[in-house]
Amino acid sequence: MKQRHQQKLLILSLFLLLCFNMPLLLLFDSVTSVGGIPVMYVYIFSVWIFSILVSLLVIKRYYE
Amino acid sequence: MSSIVLLIILSVYLAILFGIAHWAEKRGNSKWTNNPYVYTLSLAVYCSAWTYYGSIGVAATSGLNYLPIYIGPIIVIPIWIIVLRKIIRISKINKISSIADFISLRYGNSRLLGALVTLVCIFGILPYIALQLKAISETFHLVTQTSEDSNIFSDTTTYVAIALALFASYYGTRYVDASEQRKGIVTAVAVESILKLFFFILLGLYVTFFVFDGFDDIYAQASLLENFKEKNSIGGIPQAINWFFLCVLSLFAIFLLPRQFQMAVVENNRESHIKTAVWLFPLYLLLFNIFVYPVAWGGNILFDGKAVNPDTYSLLIPQLYDNQMVAILVFLGGFSAAISMIVVSSIGLSTMLSNNLLIPYGFLGRLQSDVQETNIKKIVRIRKVGIFSLIILSYIIYRVFVLDYNLFSIGMVSFVIIAQLAPAFFGAILWRRGSKKGAVTGIIVGFLICTYTLLVPYTIGITNSDNSFITNGLFGIELLKPFQLFGLDYLEAVPQAVFWSLLFNTMAYFAVSVSFNGNYRERNYAEMYIDIEKYVTTHENAFIWKGTAYTSDIQKVLNKFLGEERTKRALNLFRQKYNVSKTEELADARLVKFAENLLTGHIGTASAKILISSVVKEEKISLPEVLKILEESKENILINKKLTETSKELSIITAQLKNANEELILKDKQKDEFLDTISHELRTPITAIRAATEILHNDEDIPQEMKKQFLANIISESDRLNRLITKILDLEKFDSGLQKIYVTKNNIYHTISEVVKQLKQLIENKNITIDIISEKNIVKAFYDEDRITQVLNNLISNAIKFCPNQEGSIAIHIKETDKLIEVAVVDNGKGIDENDFEAIFDKFYQSSNQNIRKPVGSGLGLAICKKIIEHHNGKIYAENTENSGARITFSIPKYSRVQQRPS
Repeated sequence: MKQRHQQKLLILSLFLLLCFNMPLLLLFDSVTSVGGIPVMYVYIFSVWIFSILVSLLVIKRYYE
Repeated sequence: MSSIVLLIILSVYLAILFGIAHWAEKRGNSKWTNNPYVYTLSLAVYCSAWTYYGSIGVAATSGLNYLPIYIGPIIVIPIWIIVLRKIIRISKINKISSIADFISLRYGNSRLLGALVTLVCIFGILPYIALQLKAISETFHLVTQTSEDSNIFSDTTTYVAIALALFASYYGTRYVDASEQRKGIVTAVAVESILKLFFFILLGLYVTFFVFDGFDDIYAQASLLENFKEKNSIGGIPQAINWFFLCVLSLFAIFLLPRQFQMAVVENNRESHIKTAVWLFPLYLLLFNIFVYPVAWGGNILFDGKAVNPDTYSLLIPQLYDNQMVAILVFLGGFSAAISMIVVSSIGLSTMLSNNLLIPYGFLGRLQSDVQETNIKKIVRIRKVGIFSLIILSYIIYRVFVLDYNLFSIGMVSFVIIAQLAPAFFGAILWRRGSKKGAVTGIIVGFLICTYTLLVPYTIGITNSDNSFITNGLFGIELLKPFQLFGLDYLEAVPQAVFWSLLFNTMAYFAVSVSFNGNYRERNYAEMYIDIEKYVTTHENAFIWKGTAYTSDIQKVLNKFLGEERTKRALNLFRQKYNVSKTEELADARLVKFAENLLTGHIGTASAKILISSVVKEEKISLPEVLKILEESKENILINKKLTETSKELSIITAQLKNANEELILKDKQKDEFLDTISHELRTPITAIRAATEILHNDEDIPQEMKKQFLANIISESDRLNRLITKILDLEKFDSGLQKIYVTKNNIYHTISEVVKQLKQLIENKNITIDIISEKNIVKAFYDEDRITQVLNNLISNAIKFCPNQEGSIAIHIKETDKLIEVAVVDNGKGIDENDFEAIFDKFYQSSNQNIRKPVGSGLGLAICKKIIEHHNGKIYAENTENSGARITFSIPKYSRVQQRPS
């Protein structure tokens, strides 16, 4: 894998570090429900799924 | 359920796992055991009983805090592709078999550091294994509805622990070379990972949709409980800082836990497996976490106000609804989670224990004097006993110390202790100046702080209320309270321990590393670790060593551990790789490093170094000298790389040139031939014209009739010349690509009829019958009508020419398929010589067998036909019919992709 594409994953890591910590995390710190699931869980699991999709995309497309 | 039945179920279950491990061991290289999915699933050994039961406990009592343990790994997994790959490469090259080897080798192959790392790991992991045994034991009693027996020997779970210890010690020591892969264990762990996830999701679905009425229902009921909001939100900034430290802690753990290192690095057999793990492992963790909070909340609702342990909600809920089957499946899942952790951890720990502590500090002397067979037996025995006693020791720890604590807090303590290796570990691959002294100081300082802030309070008992150490601090000094060290009171116990221990650890590592001169050996390894990409193939070159050594001495040492045959084979490989003569008696740096590597897998890096240095005489080198040599070798490697690249490019260019040259020579020859034939062809009519005009010019008395005949000859020969030149020009246009084809939608049947009409006179002159045979009158296709008319004209004229004078017949067949149309022109003439089927389409072809076919015409007609058909992306070929006539067939695609005529 070329360094440029490796760096895409590095940036994803930084992005996750920011998303999963304050101050961003505290913005979603609520127990209000969205279809039976609290907002906080919805937020965390969505970022989680997003990271899986992005890694999958980068890996499938650029890994030689 | 009675204990006996459950024990039988467990035995069957263990036997199946044993069978899987055995099967996988036998077919070590099959695609079933050797694929990225097995690798990823084996990483899921991260999800132990702590995840399986403990997460629910945490979610029930303190809400979100179970998540950072998985979010830490999620954050760091994308850069595995860089970091983990580097670690794997370093480990493969140096035959590293544990994290202790990895750290100690980098800091100058230090025996002390290896032992220190091993001790830290043992202190960190034994409570963790105890946690698993606790989970097994408690859930066992819960499922069988028995109570724990205070006498160890009459408690059934003691025997479960012993059985586990035997299983692990048998399977963990199949190979003497610890860096060798254990396919059996890996596959068994992968299978268990599937099972535990499956059973856990099953439980989640059961609780969410069977016990309750979906997520909505759980939410509606749980939100009425006391403290619901406080429990399920982060709350404020101090809690968010807690959260952050827990993330950092688990982020380190995914690299540093001995079982993760074992699975991710030592058992990795292909670097490319990481790429699947990078997305699949987060997905696995996600699936494992989705149902944690519904089960926890469900438990809270059902057992509100009752004194039950939330860790066991997953068993209590199905039992409450009298669902024994679900309870047993959940129990089996938890059992899987626990035993895979126990087995893998104890294998890792026992390798460290033997290779980094027992052998270098005790057994080495004894091993040196023995022969290979007994040595191997001894090493294996050390590890077997190691694994067995580690598990038993953990069981004792569980019975004596950790009976009161919940799973989460024990796991956390383990994580904090293991995290003390982080500065030395990450410094090893990122920072050249990190030194052994720094690493040792950092680890010791960090470990002491952990001991003070976590280990001691937990051993005394945190619930012990009359304990003045925790409530008032050491000697009653407020600032020394272990859970609020130096007055840091807004963090919880674990995060504040993480903060202080890692702060002092890292600072000590940095400060000591930059304050004292390092040893040349550690600088050597630092370069090798950090620039591993450059040394991947010839890493022995990167090892700098000066002194005198004899090959025979080294060979003797190797014989003791590898056996004579393997030593010989290994040395031969080495000689081949570096082109060293067999008679060379003096060993160089490369051989010394090579021999150390061979021994490393068996007895660890430190012992390997000690053994080799006992038979060689090393001279001291100064640090600047090492740096200079490294600089040079780095440059050499770079230059070498560039040279190989350039020479590769050159050879490619040479090959291309050669091809081009050959083509040119061929073209040149063809051109010569073409010119020869053309001048010959041109000369024939010119000679005829010349002869006729000469006669007319010289002899004025020729009769009028004859004169007319000569003039007619001149006209027809000039016409022939004209036609010839037109055809040559046509052909030339096709060859040079100037001729363009413009396709439009046409009816081939119509085109053929038109051509036949034009040739009507000729056909009737020879009394030939002509038929167009087609299923339909309209066969549409895209082609250039003028050009195809030319082709048809040519083919039919040829057929007419070669038809016999009596009873000549021509048939034109049209065939249509989905994509093609095919037209065949068949005559009943003499046919074509088989050898000429292809040659007739060449320019100026003249049949070699003039008896069969007398050359008539220019010899360019079929060549032009071929060009036209090829420009339509079609094919043209010749064959003979059964009754010796010739059949020339061409086919063109219906929807040609060539350019359409501009409208």
